[in-house]
Amino acid sequence: MKKPIVEIKNLKKVIGDKTIIHGISMDVFPGEVFGFLGPNGAGKTTTIRMMVGLMGITEGEVLINGFSIEKNFEKAISHVGGIIENPEMYKFLSGYDNLLQYARMLPDPVKKERIDEIVKLVGLEKRIHEKVKGYSLGMRQRLGLAQALLHSPALLILDEPTNGLDPAGIREIRTYIRKIAHEEGIAVFVSSHMLSEMQLMCDRIGIIQDGHLVSVETVGDFVGEKVNTVLEIEPIEKAREFVEQTFPELNPKVNGAKLFVSASREKVPSLVKVLAENEFEIYQVSSENSTLEEKFLEMTEGTK
Amino acid sequence: MSHFFRLIHNENVKIYKRMGTWVMIGILVLVVALVGAFTKFVLDPGSNADWKSQLTAENAQLTESLETAPMLEAQKRLLKERIALNEYRVEHDLAPMERDSLWGYMVDATTFTGIAALFTIVIAAGMVASEFSWGTVKLLLIRPVSRTKVLLAKYASTLLFAVLMLVLLFSTSFLFGMIFFGFTGAETPYLSYSNGRVVQQNMVTHIIELFGFRSIDLIMMVTLAFMISTVFRSSSLAIGISLFLMFTGPQIVQLLSQYDWVKYILFANTDLQQYTTGTPLVEGMTMTFSIVMLLIYFGLFAFLSLFIFNKRDVAA
Ligand SMILES: Nc1ncnc2c1ncn2[C@@H]1O[C@H](COP(=O)(O)OP(=O)(O)O)[C@@H](O)[C@H]1O
Ligand SMILES: [Mg+2]
Repeated sequence: MKKPIVEIKNLKKVIGDKTIIHGISMDVFPGEVFGFLGPNGAGKTTTIRMMVGLMGITEGEVLINGFSIEKNFEKAISHVGGIIENPEMYKFLSGYDNLLQYARMLPDPVKKERIDEIVKLVGLEKRIHEKVKGYSLGMRQRLGLAQALLHSPALLILDEPTNGLDPAGIREIRTYIRKIAHEEGIAVFVSSHMLSEMQLMCDRIGIIQDGHLVSVETVGDFVGEKVNTVLEIEPIEKAREFVEQTFPELNPKVNGAKLFVSASREKVPSLVKVLAENEFEIYQVSSENSTLEEKFLEMTEGTK
Repeated sequence: MSHFFRLIHNENVKIYKRMGTWVMIGILVLVVALVGAFTKFVLDPGSNADWKSQLTAENAQLTESLETAPMLEAQKRLLKERIALNEYRVEHDLAPMERDSLWGYMVDATTFTGIAALFTIVIAAGMVASEFSWGTVKLLLIRPVSRTKVLLAKYASTLLFAVLMLVLLFSTSFLFGMIFFGFTGAETPYLSYSNGRVVQQNMVTHIIELFGFRSIDLIMMVTLAFMISTVFRSSSLAIGISLFLMFTGPQIVQLLSQYDWVKYILFANTDLQQYTTGTPLVEGMTMTFSIVMLLIYFGLFAFLSLFIFNKRDVAA
């Protein structure tokens, strides 16, 4: 297994007498998109702020490439590029001058060619010399991405990068994130409260709820295994009994005029075949993935 | 270019790419020009032809009050110096400097360091607070640069702005002085009293010295504004408190000057001219005492700024 780029160990944050983060531990590996999912106020931004040294750590530690963000800040942060909440830039400067600001702060300033390359990569080459004041949110988001990638970090941290973007913008960011992670081996740590989106973008997802890390799973595990199948079938009570006897693990239930079974995807065709052979009349079969959303709601509602 | 210079470069870009900075620079130049024009065309300088008899009369009056009026030792010394200077002028035929001359005008213009201080305070007050209000602090502080270094670069850039204002003040007052009053009386010396006798001093040196004395107040107030901006993240609070104290501080210590503890207040020590050409605010105060007090205050401001800036959770 690869060495993790980020190791978070029992991270806690207490502000005043309020515990906001209750001991989170997780690792992020090179080349993966790690989703950090949770409803508003769950503690995503607070966790990220501790990861990049903007906030002090009450207990526990964050190691980036083996360096502690608290004890060895400059070494640790030099591997990180990030956008924390909205990408706020100097509005009275051009996009290019903003990038120059961050370029000058590096111990070894990046070359002009690298800046031009990044500008092209995020597709801002036409407007980069205009003042940021006139940029749309999408353009600012792209400029934010450019400043985060300028120094070729090993870890990209994005806090709700799709907030406020239109669907096209969201898709663009999503494609881009997957590309840099999988092609360039950068680890991407991305937070969101939008479940559907995370499902499309991430390899692994950690769910945070009220400052607790509820679960960390790969997206495949999340969505692949369970399929809810709904059958419009007659006679319905008989069908339920039949399924109960032949496939007790499917846990059939009747709700109104519909029969619900929870079958794995591979199971569906054989189920339908057996039912048809036994003279049941099937009007409609629909299966839906148990989405992350359901799983997420299931998990988070339990704790409320 | 070294890393720290690049950080200062960054801060300078943020200062000089803003309109407001250039408005302030413009106002400073304009004030110098307008006051020059006012001195030349509006003020009546009065006749200075019989300055010798005026000085003689003044000396007679000063001598009398020296003998009759009760006063402090320091005040007495001051009057004696003044009498000695006046006598020296009459003896050596050195007319007192006039306001509508190049040097006279430049000496007047040194009081505009107050405007330079005001504008530098505005810049200092925004240095840290603006990064918070713009939200850019989040991107600024996730770079491989320690917070201490970021803050020092900001402070250094603020001082550079102060230097720019002072150089601008000196050069524009020289320029407009030349335009309005011509380069006459360039050889006029400045008379000062030192070690019991009157000495002649080069006028340019004297003017630069005046700037030097006034810069101390400027630097302390700017540092105070910078600290408030860092600690409270509010530029308006920093501007408000610093300006209020800059204008009222000296008056307050004057009012309270009968109490001995006043000498520990910052504003009792910012004017070092009280030891060269004036009387100390509280008897027994010395130049060394004031310099030590200034260093203590400076250290306190610097410590507070650095400590808070390094500690703070950035949640803007
Ligand atoms: N500076 C702070 N002081 C006190 N409470 C805070 C502070 N910052 C955040 N919180 C609280 O911590 C919780 C987590 O906030 P946040 O990390 O912003 O959540 P998320 O980014 O997941 O929406 C919220 O309940 C919020 O009210
Ligand atoms: Mg958030």
